Amino acid sequence: MNRKIRQLAAAFIVLYVVLFAAMNYWQVGRESELNAMSGNTRAIRREFSRPRGEIVSADGVVAARSIPLPDDNEFPYQREYPTGDLFANVTGYYSLALGATQLERTQNSVLTGQTAEQRIGNLEDIVTGGQGTGDVHMTLRSDLQDTAREALAGRRGSVVMLDTRTGAVLAMYSNPTYDPNRIVDPNFDAARDALEELLEAPGNPLLANAYQERYMPGSTFKVLTTGIALDAGVVSLDSQFDRVTEWTPPQTSNPIQNYDGSNCGGDLREVFRRSCNIPFAQTALNVGIPGMISGVQAWGVGENVPIDLPRPAASTFGSTDNLDQQLPLLAMRGFGQQEDQMVPLHMAMVAAAVANNGVMMKPFVVGSTTDSQGRTLTRTQPEEWKRPISPETAATLNSLMQSVATDGTASCCLQLNGGVPVAAKTGTAQLNEAGQPERSNAWIVAFAPANEPRYAVSVVLLDSPEVSAGTGGRLAGPIAQQMLNEALANG
Amino acid sequence: MATASPLARSRRSTELSLVVMAGMITAIAYTFASLGQYTQIPARIIPFLLALLALLLFAHLAVRWFARGADPTLLPLVALLHGVGYVMITRLEPERLAGLQTTWSIIAIVAFVATLAVVQRAADLARFRWTFLFIGVVLLILPLVPGVGSSFGGARIWVSLGPVNFQPGEFAKIAFAIFFASYLADNRQLIAGGTWRVGPLHLPEPRALLPVLAAWSFAVLVMVAERDLGSSLLFFTLFVVMLWVSTERVIYLFLGAAMFFGAAFVSWRLFDHVQLRVDIWLDPWADWQDDGFQLVQALWGMSDGGLMGTGLGRGSPDIVPVAESDFIFTSIGEELGLFGAAAVLMAYLLIVGAGLRVALRTENAFEKLLAVGLTTIMGIQTFIIVAGVIKLVPLTGITLPFVSYGGSSLVSNYILLALLIRLSDSTARRLHEVPDDPTMAERWAARKLRRRARRGRVVAGSPA
Repeated sequence: MNRKIRQLAAAFIVLYVVLFAAMNYWQVGRESELNAMSGNTRAIRREFSRPRGEIVSADGVVAARSIPLPDDNEFPYQREYPTGDLFANVTGYYSLALGATQLERTQNSVLTGQTAEQRIGNLEDIVTGGQGTGDVHMTLRSDLQDTAREALAGRRGSVVMLDTRTGAVLAMYSNPTYDPNRIVDPNFDAARDALEELLEAPGNPLLANAYQERYMPGSTFKVLTTGIALDAGVVSLDSQFDRVTEWTPPQTSNPIQNYDGSNCGGDLREVFRRSCNIPFAQTALNVGIPGMISGVQAWGVGENVPIDLPRPAASTFGSTDNLDQQLPLLAMRGFGQQEDQMVPLHMAMVAAAVANNGVMMKPFVVGSTTDSQGRTLTRTQPEEWKRPISPETAATLNSLMQSVATDGTASCCLQLNGGVPVAAKTGTAQLNEAGQPERSNAWIVAFAPANEPRYAVSVVLLDSPEVSAGTGGRLAGPIAQQMLNEALANG
Repeated sequence: MATASPLARSRRSTELSLVVMAGMITAIAYTFASLGQYTQIPARIIPFLLALLALLLFAHLAVRWFARGADPTLLPLVALLHGVGYVMITRLEPERLAGLQTTWSIIAIVAFVATLAVVQRAADLARFRWTFLFIGVVLLILPLVPGVGSSFGGARIWVSLGPVNFQPGEFAKIAFAIFFASYLADNRQLIAGGTWRVGPLHLPEPRALLPVLAAWSFAVLVMVAERDLGSSLLFFTLFVVMLWVSTERVIYLFLGAAMFFGAAFVSWRLFDHVQLRVDIWLDPWADWQDDGFQLVQALWGMSDGGLMGTGLGRGSPDIVPVAESDFIFTSIGEELGLFGAAAVLMAYLLIVGAGLRVALRTENAFEKLLAVGLTTIMGIQTFIIVAGVIKLVPLTGITLPFVSYGGSSLVSNYILLALLIRLSDSTARRLHEVPDDPTMAERWAARKLRRRARRGRVVAGSPA
């Protein structure tokens, strides 16, 4: 019988080897295919069963946190956004069914404690009973966010404030926006309905318009044009421009006018503070096509804004094909009309670069991350992005922008507490055709203190029902004023 | 324990250290599962560890006392499987089943020790073969008896006596293995001889083969009637293998295979539930939210675990219905990965190897066949359920020995283990590896005999 017993043993070995091969087939061979199948919710469940750290503002206000749910729930935690819509554009939301956005997505591994550093630290948590999660500390200040929200008062538009020296984003608020609590509603149907409603709502409330959208900049673009021309030596403070009401550029018979058809001219300081159009149209032509194109590129136009948040937009100078056949277009772009479009955050960066001696910093919203014990994991180091203009040009622009605030288009509405000197440029981008009801984007970019800059702000109010040289200053100016006053008072 | 034996002592100390290692692995796995699931060290880890070691030590001492020549790997391998299963069950059903499984584990170890104590000579089993056949038949029929039997999950394999539910089929398989080993040991030459000529064919005497065939077809038919496909497949394979090994005639394998495929085809044509099993096996994804749900979720769990597993307590094996019982193997595959699942398979293969080594070493035909039978039960049962849950063959529900949740399964398999250890010890004694001391019962009988001799009632015959 022993021969048969040996054969039986061999048969068992064969059977078990077959089992082992079949296990390999499922666990190794088809692993990724099976894991990717819809209906296989294991990876998502694992993800959502973990505790999650907080997202906190620079002044310690909790913008996102996890609250434990009663035991009979499928998942042990529920995400909550105590500040409602205040930080929605930056924190995003985190939902089982509908995915995650913004910092909730990009900082996921820190929040769940999955970075290599945290995993080592987590061994300690086993003993101390810690959660093993991590916190994200934003550079944004809740007082500035509040100010921006109140100043906008429900009007469509964006407010961005930067630290001029580091690029840290201190405020970034847009209307329309949304309350992320609606999307993390444990009632899935309610959450999905809320998301669908937001997706179809006008003005893209789910987008962070301050950095994911771009708008026609109007006269604020003259900061770029002037900087390019100063650097190229095409203009200087001594340049004189004719006082005219209209001017016809080459290749056309349609004249370009100043706002309201006003008679506008004089030296560079005067045309800059009064925001004449014709001098900047002429300047753009004098700089020439290659000079303007490389100039705006040096300002970062055409590149995605380098912020540490997902899917930033890029500002644009419009199509440059056959521009030599269309010089009037180049002329109009010189003062921020036609196909020019700027991202609100990028405009704040332009102002900050002027303030920062011509050095444009990379904007960032994550100041630092900490583990569950409060130890710092990462701290964002300020990084230079571009040097669009020389320090001399920056100083000249600074002085020109101060004139705008003292006796130019912003003088009505931009006076800081304690007489702190401020530099600014307003803009009114006309959206309507001639003869249509007036519509415009009202802009202002500003920084203060002008002699020792710390804060740069950019404000845009969309679709304002009027167009004049003063529109930008009168509508957007007060918002910039409130923002700068608040920043200086509590900075 | 009268005579000292170096070999016995070394085997037992090997066993002790291996058993302690299995216990440590269990305790570590238990701690990790709690850390993975709740990020905390289990509250009662010290009492758990002490109870676990006490239980393992109890089993080990019983082997040391009653079967000191036995193979030292059997008990540790089983302790490891039992431990892994226990950790998985408490992790899957911490409130509902953890306490019950603890109780059943204690009962199973007691049954193990009791079996070792009661069955001190393997030959005793052979003497009661017709009794075992009778017990096996009764156990098989019990679930069909109205008022006693009950069915859960489509199979009528349960018996309810008051508060206790058990599956008598789990015990019947041992009884039938004993009967077959004993009967075939005595009659195998007769069956193999083929003295009955029908035309050109040499067939076994019908009279000799009749009891085997009767018991075989009875068992398989009853199991089919109870809709317990897994067990009927197990019984069928057990009998075919034992006939083949005992007669050494390969014709029984072919005959068995032919009958199996014939029966499988007929039942596929006749029974809806068999067709459904086959359909799910062919394409579980066709209806993955309903009929195929269990298998599909199990496969997703395995793939999610991948090579290294998600870690104990960190996967989602609880999505799979009855993960703690039939599907516990895929739960292990999910949380311990291919490595962990392969280690479990390896443990079974080592047990099979140890069992067949016993069968090879012994000269006694009954012990040889019983060792083959018990080992085959263990090896085939594992193969049927593992192959079923990884979609290698159609799924037929049956427990994974020592690992699955289930009192009857645990107790019966520990009895099976005790018998294997008994056979292993018996072989060692017969080969003079350890001294063949008389058992307690034999010493008692000898004393009685001597007393009667002193009183002059017995004339001669007692050894000097």
